[in-house]
Amino acid sequence: VRDERAEAREELRTVARTLLAKSGPRPDWQLLAGPGWPGLEIAPELGGSGATFAEVAVIATELGRAAAVSPFLGTVVLGAGLLAAISPQSSRDEMLSDISAGRSRVAVAMATGDEAVTGDVAPFRVQRADGRLTVHGTASFVPDVIAADHLLLLARQESGEPVTVRIGATELRAQPQPLVDETRRVGVVDANGMQVADEAAWPFAGDPEVAVAALASRAALAVACDSLGIAEAMLEATVSYVGKRYQFGRPIGSFQAVKHACADMLVQVTMARELVSEAADAVAADSFAAAAAVSMAKSYACAAAVSVAGKAIQLHGGIGYTWEAGLHVYLKRAALNRSLFGSPSAHRQRLAYRYG
Amino acid sequence: MADLDQFRAQAQEWCAAHVPAGWRQAQTGASPEQFTEFQQAWFAELRSAGYAVPHWPAEWGGGLSTAEQVVLYQELAAHDAPRLVLAFVAIHHAAATLLAAGTPDQRRRHLPAILDGEIWCQGFSEPEAGSDLASLRTTARRSGDRYLVSGQKLWSTWAMAADWCLLLARTDTQAPKRRGISYFLLDMRTPGIELRPIRQATGEWHFCEMFLDEVEIPASSLVGAENEGWQVAQTTLSAERGMTMLELAERLGNAGMTRLIATSRQAAGGRLTPPGLITDQLAAFETEITGLRAMCRSVVDSHDIGRGSLVDASVVKLCYSELLQRMTDFGTGLAGLPAHSEMQKPLSGSYESGTWLLDFIGSWEWTIPGGSSEIQRSIIGERGLGLPREPAATS
Repeated sequence: VRDERAEAREELRTVARTLLAKSGPRPDWQLLAGPGWPGLEIAPELGGSGATFAEVAVIATELGRAAAVSPFLGTVVLGAGLLAAISPQSSRDEMLSDISAGRSRVAVAMATGDEAVTGDVAPFRVQRADGRLTVHGTASFVPDVIAADHLLLLARQESGEPVTVRIGATELRAQPQPLVDETRRVGVVDANGMQVADEAAWPFAGDPEVAVAALASRAALAVACDSLGIAEAMLEATVSYVGKRYQFGRPIGSFQAVKHACADMLVQVTMARELVSEAADAVAADSFAAAAAVSMAKSYACAAAVSVAGKAIQLHGGIGYTWEAGLHVYLKRAALNRSLFGSPSAHRQRLAYRYG
Repeated sequence: MADLDQFRAQAQEWCAAHVPAGWRQAQTGASPEQFTEFQQAWFAELRSAGYAVPHWPAEWGGGLSTAEQVVLYQELAAHDAPRLVLAFVAIHHAAATLLAAGTPDQRRRHLPAILDGEIWCQGFSEPEAGSDLASLRTTARRSGDRYLVSGQKLWSTWAMAADWCLLLARTDTQAPKRRGISYFLLDMRTPGIELRPIRQATGEWHFCEMFLDEVEIPASSLVGAENEGWQVAQTTLSAERGMTMLELAERLGNAGMTRLIATSRQAAGGRLTPPGLITDQLAAFETEITGLRAMCRSVVDSHDIGRGSLVDASVVKLCYSELLQRMTDFGTGLAGLPAHSEMQKPLSGSYESGTWLLDFIGSWEWTIPGGSSEIQRSIIGERGLGLPREPAATS
């Protein structure tokens, strides 16, 4: 059974790679909806394919490899992931159906920096005064929030219990934030005491703290997958270049200094792939060890991608430093990934609490 | 899966009952005789449980599945059991060679003897043939039904305790260097062999120089065809990878990590909270060890389905050896001045005994032999990534 699933994942990977190679780095969301990516984890009765996070991880890796501009992180990793943890009800199901069909994009306003690991994942507060429900707080660097049709805010009630607040995109405009990385879209969400209807506060189906932590884990791991894809792409580009570029009458890849640097890149990519794959299995199986596995994958893969992309620029020489060569796109995305949903040191800090 | 859980429970129970308490203390500062005696006793103990040579075919006394072997090594590591140091070449390299290229007679003669405690060493490297092993100069001349071998070997681990030696010698001095080498089984009691122990950087004496002067080897002790020893040797060298690397990685992740955390806690004054630079580094090590252990399981699995590659083995060896070096370096720094007056580390253990300075110095025993880190990077670059080879030296 395990082998069959692994084979199916490899097939998914091949299809994704081909599709992204054809579409270029800015694939149309409708195009990706065709093969069912938005609804990968969504139940078949809501139009999805009922797969697991392990399949989502495959797509996330391929999107990183292509440095693709896509609302996958906001809509699929975070949006669909959060909605799955919410008590079933008609408006939630409708939203999931719309995501499956590629009709709807969702963003989740939550902690996106180190707080996602070592602090509070839910940055908003819900208050009731004079019978009216209001939301307070802000979240920044919220992925894919500008083009989203729905906004889901992770908030705490006065009791301290986390809850999801659903807001239509027209009710609350997010402010776009500039990014050096041109392949991602982020914005600031300021709730500013806005009033919401009682029905907009959606309770979680299970333990809310567990659900919120699991969402942060999914986010961190999806970014780790993205970084793995970046590192793979940069290694391939470099190997290809140093095999063709001649200096001193030999391909530069025949020089040990260059060859050994490539070998180190392969070691880093291999290590990252093992850690990401272990973590994806743990998250897909909802294992108790998932949080630690995610922290290992996130801290290693995201640091490795920066190192590999940086080495790629170095080994490409002057041409690698040009805008036109495009390697900078990967380095910038890798650097953003490293900070997004917890820096390597924040994740290692979480691991370190286990040492007592 | 249920069967595997049952096997794990068995292995756990066995380890709990049989791993000798206090073996580390007893093996610290042990004499060569005490070391040999302990190694042989532990081998016999493992053998009686069917755990000494689990990777051998069932007909020769092994027969555990790959998954069971992984579990066994995980449990031995988790129980901080002694390692089979002295039998290592016999049960891995010698057995792999005999099973892959030995004659039925050679197998019958040696495999049961290895189970009875026959010790083997390796006679591959020479003073002028280190990383460039194929340039070895020891010669074997055919004379009737025997060969006469002369030359010098280096870095033969535990050769002074060995009964037999896996020997590479040149049988055709005219052929291109990889084509004129033959593979022999050498009885260490044969006249004409002189051993000189070499003291290594740690102060210990685990290696030997071996001088061979017209040493007679019967033609029946040739393994594989004459002049085809290089191919046979590749089998022997690859036996060192896979499962043995998995065992070492498991040990690094279990007792190694536990000891490093203990040293860290001591260095931090008894507690590791709040997190800081030390715990950051510990978590980084744990992460890399976790990746390495997963990598080892992947390599073992891929060998199991016939997809194993030399490149995977190189990646694993490079990762393990350099991680070991960085971890033991870190441990040495944390342990501070007291580490410098610890003069002996326990024998029969793994490479991260917690005697950090000696462990650190000993870590070059992993980054140099068996293909140095530089050689591994060239293998990874050329065979793994398909990068162009160095222009050949003119010779």
